[in-house]
Amino acid sequence: MSETSAVKDKQEHVKHYFVDSDQQFEASKMGMWVFLVTEILFFGGLFAAYIVYRSWYPELYLMASTELDAFWGTVNTVVLIGSSLTVAMAIRSAQLNQIKGLIINLWITIGLACVFMVIKFFEYMYKFQKGILPGEYYTYDGIAHEQANIFFSIYYMMTGLHGVHVVIGIGLMLWLVVKAKKGVFSSQYYTHVEITGLYWHLVDVIWIFLFPLLYLID
Amino acid sequence: MSGHHISSAKFLWGIGTALFFLTFVTVAVTWIQIPEPWNVVVAVAIAVVKALIVVAFFMNLWWDSKFNTLLFIMSIAFFLLLIGITLLDTLYRVDPVPSF
Repeated sequence: MSETSAVKDKQEHVKHYFVDSDQQFEASKMGMWVFLVTEILFFGGLFAAYIVYRSWYPELYLMASTELDAFWGTVNTVVLIGSSLTVAMAIRSAQLNQIKGLIINLWITIGLACVFMVIKFFEYMYKFQKGILPGEYYTYDGIAHEQANIFFSIYYMMTGLHGVHVVIGIGLMLWLVVKAKKGVFSSQYYTHVEITGLYWHLVDVIWIFLFPLLYLID
Repeated sequence: MSGHHISSAKFLWGIGTALFFLTFVTVAVTWIQIPEPWNVVVAVAIAVVKALIVVAFFMNLWWDSKFNTLLFIMSIAFFLLLIGITLLDTLYRVDPVPSF
């Protein structure tokens, strides 16, 4: 008898191969951390390229980074850190069963992520108009260095890949809003929110390094 | 299980404020021209502190299972290995690949 009641006690969201909700939650979270390890090494390759070329052409980096607007870089840093804060608040809301607060915090996060992408868009557009394009498409002649295009290839690869992650994050956050409105999440079950939060914080961490390394070197 | 740590709103705002402040410090140190190698060291050092704050208190590693911390440390270790071994090659080339 006690065994059947134990099975019935198992909550609906717990897959049959997990002992309980906590074990399922911990397993999901660990899986996400394994994914984040691959993400760190994914970006790590680009950081390695950045370091190698900086060691070869230190003067190029100093010259080229003056083309980047430190003001908008700072604004974007503040925006992204703010969005990390609202994601942390969203997780807290879910933990406290405040689904309305969860949805509001998710919307603020989506809003901030969009602000980030809009600023990025105008930064890119401004450079495109000047002919600052990656690799062989580089036509700008304002930087007196033969390898000026290399800095911008690295710049576009790093901020571009980061931007793709932001866009994916916006998509994930919209998916969370839909799920939250359907009443999927509660203080007992908010795994998706926690895991998307981990992803979003990592995107923030990457930017924390990109900002001083690209914008502030002069 | 340590996976359900709930931070207070005040604490999260405190962490956010610390990160905003360190962002300001990162920008401010560029105003006082620090000589060549040290400006990079200072900028990266501040970024490392900020990243560790995010990882520990927003990503909750501080309260989380130690295994997840181990995963994170391993990723950093392999990242440093990648950079270290690559630099052992590229720093000591007589002639960097000419057209690159």
